[in-house]
Amino acid sequence: MRYVIAFARFWHDFLIGDRPELFVGPIVSLALVALVIQAGWSAVSGLVLFGLVVATGGLGLARELAAARAGTDR
Amino acid sequence: MSVVLFTVLSSFIASAVEFVEALTVVLAVGVTRQWRSTLAGAGAAIVVLTALIAILGLTIATFVPIELLRLVVGAVLIVFGLQWLTRAILRAAGARASRDEVANFGREVVALAKEPPVPATGMDWISFTVAFKGVLLEGLEVAFIVVTFGAAGGQLVPAIVGAGLAGIGVLGVGAAVRRPLARLPENQLKFGVGLMLVSFGTFWAGEAIGIAWPGSDLSILLLLAGYLAASLLAVRTVAAGLVRPAQLSQMQTRQEAN
Repeated sequence: MRYVIAFARFWHDFLIGDRPELFVGPIVSLALVALVIQAGWSAVSGLVLFGLVVATGGLGLARELAAARAGTDR
Repeated sequence: MSVVLFTVLSSFIASAVEFVEALTVVLAVGVTRQWRSTLAGAGAAIVVLTALIAILGLTIATFVPIELLRLVVGAVLIVFGLQWLTRAILRAAGARASRDEVANFGREVVALAKEPPVPATGMDWISFTVAFKGVLLEGLEVAFIVVTFGAAGGQLVPAIVGAGLAGIGVLGVGAAVRRPLARLPENQLKFGVGLMLVSFGTFWAGEAIGIAWPGSDLSILLLLAGYLAASLLAVRTVAAGLVRPAQLSQMQTRQEAN
């Protein structure tokens, strides 16, 4: 059990760490674009995905800067 | 052809950055303790990483359906790429301290000086363990990128070739100069790798959920150009005044986590 927890913790730190928005953002973005395609707007789906990924990166930067402003290490 | 070249290049640059960080640890241990045990530890880590890449890469490529693979790998590459890219943007804007290999080398040497002395005969297990751990931890990121790139794009061999060339190059230069490779433009390289990971990730994950990319593989270049433009804009925005000088200095004093 100890090894399972250590394994899970390793992957958590590796992929999520202290920046959960950069993990959740792309998954939510892909789900939203899948809905856009389902709704029949496939022509713009690539552009929407690009925009959502850029927005996720922007959110990550904003949170990093906000953490610095609050004096908390991330 | 473009995908093969991109795969070799991405794997080469990402691996070179990680190998430079591993080299710093290996040099510090070798210089302060014993080269034979240090090289044995580093070699053992490379064997473990190679086995990991071969087993995981082949297993994933053989048994996981390509659409599912591209969705999962694409999403993970976006996540991973954004982590590299946002840190590189903050460093390029001066809002985060750059990694200093010479300082890291010094810290390793100081830490190793507190360890028990090297045994007069036989293997020095402290040298072996520190070198093994350092190379394995840095190499795991390389293995991760090689396996994901190789499996999702059907480009396992080019990905391995890129990583192998980087390893040979960095270790060769390191063996020749016997100093940490501080002059390497590490942040620019991380910036480039972040862009490539996010671009490939967007392309593959998008394809898996049903996006018909115009021009097929050529869309990767468009994505790359788009992400580059957005990133450069972010660097300018952050540097221009989103952060006040006091906050900048506060961020610059933070210890590098990666």
